[in-house]
Amino acid sequence: MTTGTPLWEFVDISKAYPGVLANDKVNIKLLPGSIHGLLGENGCGKSTMIKTLSGVQQPDSGQIKHNGQPVLINDPQVARDFGIATVFQEFSIVPTLSVGENIFLGNLPRSRFGVIDWSKVNTEAARVLAEMDVDVSPEVITGSLSVGEQQLVEIAKAIAMDARMIILDEPTAALGEDEIDRLHQLLRSMRSRGTGILYVSHRLDEVERIVDEVTILRNGQVVRASGETEINVTEIISAMIGGDIGEHYPKEQNTAGDVVLEAVGLATKHGVTDASFTLKQGEVLGLGGVLGSGRTEIARALFGTDELTAGQITLKGKPVKFRGEIDAIRAGLALVPENRKYDGLFFNFRAGGNITAASLGGLSRFGIMNLKIEEQATKDLIRDLEISTQAEEKTVNFLSGGNQQKIVIARWLFSDSDILILDEPTQGIDIGAKVAVYNLINRLTLAGKSIILISSDHDELLAMSDRIAVIQHGTITRIVHASELTHSDLVRASDEIPTSQTEEAFV
Amino acid sequence: MKRIFDTQLIGPFAAMVIVALVVALTTDRFLNPGNLSNLSLQVSIVALIAIGSTIVIFAAGIDLSSGSMVALLTMILAQMLKFMSIPLMLAVPLILLAGGLLGLFIGLITAYGRIPSFITTLAGLIAFRGLALTFNNGSPIFSLDPALEPIFYGKLLGIPLPLFYLIFFYGLASFAMNYTKLGREIYAVGGNPAAAVLTGINVRKVQTTTFVIAGFMTAVGAILMSARLNSGSPNYGQTLELQAIAAAVVGGASLAGGRGNVLATLMGAMTIVIVQNGLNLNAAPSSVQNIVLGLIILLAVGIDMWRAEISNLMGRLFGRSSSYTKKGP
Repeated sequence: MTTGTPLWEFVDISKAYPGVLANDKVNIKLLPGSIHGLLGENGCGKSTMIKTLSGVQQPDSGQIKHNGQPVLINDPQVARDFGIATVFQEFSIVPTLSVGENIFLGNLPRSRFGVIDWSKVNTEAARVLAEMDVDVSPEVITGSLSVGEQQLVEIAKAIAMDARMIILDEPTAALGEDEIDRLHQLLRSMRSRGTGILYVSHRLDEVERIVDEVTILRNGQVVRASGETEINVTEIISAMIGGDIGEHYPKEQNTAGDVVLEAVGLATKHGVTDASFTLKQGEVLGLGGVLGSGRTEIARALFGTDELTAGQITLKGKPVKFRGEIDAIRAGLALVPENRKYDGLFFNFRAGGNITAASLGGLSRFGIMNLKIEEQATKDLIRDLEISTQAEEKTVNFLSGGNQQKIVIARWLFSDSDILILDEPTQGIDIGAKVAVYNLINRLTLAGKSIILISSDHDELLAMSDRIAVIQHGTITRIVHASELTHSDLVRASDEIPTSQTEEAFV
Repeated sequence: MKRIFDTQLIGPFAAMVIVALVVALTTDRFLNPGNLSNLSLQVSIVALIAIGSTIVIFAAGIDLSSGSMVALLTMILAQMLKFMSIPLMLAVPLILLAGGLLGLFIGLITAYGRIPSFITTLAGLIAFRGLALTFNNGSPIFSLDPALEPIFYGKLLGIPLPLFYLIFFYGLASFAMNYTKLGREIYAVGGNPAAAVLTGINVRKVQTTTFVIAGFMTAVGAILMSARLNSGSPNYGQTLELQAIAAAVVGGASLAGGRGNVLATLMGAMTIVIVQNGLNLNAAPSSVQNIVLGLIILLAVGIDMWRAEISNLMGRLFGRSSSYTKKGP
């Protein structure tokens, strides 16, 4: 497989940050017309490699070769001129601009007088989107799109600049199953046209599906180089973490107790048409369905964010009506949002402030906080959840995604809430941190808390839920035990047209 | 204690000390007790108002109305004392209440009316001064109450009273920000309002509260302003709101909200006043003072923003292998 001149090659690239050797003599060959998987846990040096190749930073030593010739990529613009497009995990789109503007940002077509040629912007953008089979108008304001659609716009940018080398950092973290399929199709067609693709993902099932070659990094070093053997998920995992992780999904069977929450016929103006379900104490109820099916919207309806237009929520036998999030939180609900960066974390706080943010009342007497309890609880949780001890002294923006997510969940472990809604809790975090989140879910249910789990990772949803509610177009069509459902059932469910199969909805 | 003497204070403190040293070297009149006492009087009004401005900034708001509110409140106080025969000990609490209510009014419109505080307080900046001019046909009112100056602007044991007010209110504000639920909520709202909503913090109530605090502290400043010359005037407090914001910014408060230390604002205010004092003592014209104040604000924010670049530059200038860094094993 490693025949021919690599499009790009890293020769003994090293890069050190204060205290860490992020890349230690890394060698990698990226071939044209090949999808190259780059794997490894958070902090293994993947991001450093991506930044080096996209010109964001300079290596301390080593060489980068383009078609066999050593080159210097000392600026992101140089990388773009070389035809390298990078889709970073953190979006670089401007939410207030239109889709077309975002696609051509920095390179907007001008007419003769230097004025932006809007008709060209829109027709060209429409062409790219059509090629991608994405049904979004170029004139729509990007911020109004779903996270998944925004991600596709991000990828459209790379396609529009006709890149010869595309770097994708966690491109599917926010995508639903059908969108992932669409993306993969697109990548395959780009591959057939000779584009080189560097694909970074935490979703190993995807890697197995699409990647031609794999490089695995651990502690800044390449532990397995391209195309040595067939790609095998178990092997990859053990190479990544340097040992066997044992059970990938450490699900513990719960003895579900009484019904704590009952929803009957919920509907909102924002995409929930008919949602009925029950949640028992100590249970994990998974919400399955594709992105945009109404999973997150059901969570918003439960949490008082969106007003109910119909239906009734009952908590422990008492009918309730939430006028806002504060009512829901007072009643014992908690929401760990999908977008932890924007809706979850206080980046100006260290771990302590983040963990206690939902429990300030309980920590205070006459408005004065007991900082000793806060400090002790933070120490305990950092130790129990194996959060980086840096979190005690540094604000959370310095922590990895996995540590950040543990801190957001720790907040609700510390609070009095007994019903947790976890929206994509493992999105964009590495396998080790995922397992830690799964263990946390077990811990929460063991403590008698009930969980509503929303996840686009079907394997995760199947493995970690006790029961699964299948959602289509804002309607819960059926609720079954997780063991009675398979991965393909969930994928297929998304294609089914909702008919009169609601008889099972009242389990 | 770790929280009070956190790293956010080191920079503003160092800036204040350096400025004081420079001024002390250029004129020997700086350190004489009369001048120091004068300094504490000069800093007191802006520093007290800056407590409120800073807390509003912590919650990611801005208060442009405080200077005009000072003028309005001194006129209301003067009206009460001079023409309505309301005793001083009743008028003063009423002014504090009025300040709080004006702040509440601004806060409610901002938080519940969802109008950015830049706009609501800009409206206040313009309208409050207009309101101040409706009293006494727009003329200042003098000789309000003989007890006003001794109680609020006089001296105790040779130390100016405003210094005690400063210590009291900064102590209180620092305690509130570091040890109370409200303080934590203010930082949370400024840091990430969306996350604050999802953790059950009443964001609008917290935002409103910051403006009530700002209004109250502005009233405290207004009373001192009236006491200084035993008068009320619709012209008092011009650009005071900008000086208060400058003190917060020089003290390192982030205008994006969520970050900063209220004690650093006091140091920021001191730094500004010491520079002005130094220029005064060296007989610099007031035009120069304004130019220098502008530069200080740029420099303070610049040093904060360019910290990494500056340390890189230092590294390059003095070289990594130089004897500077080769200390110890």
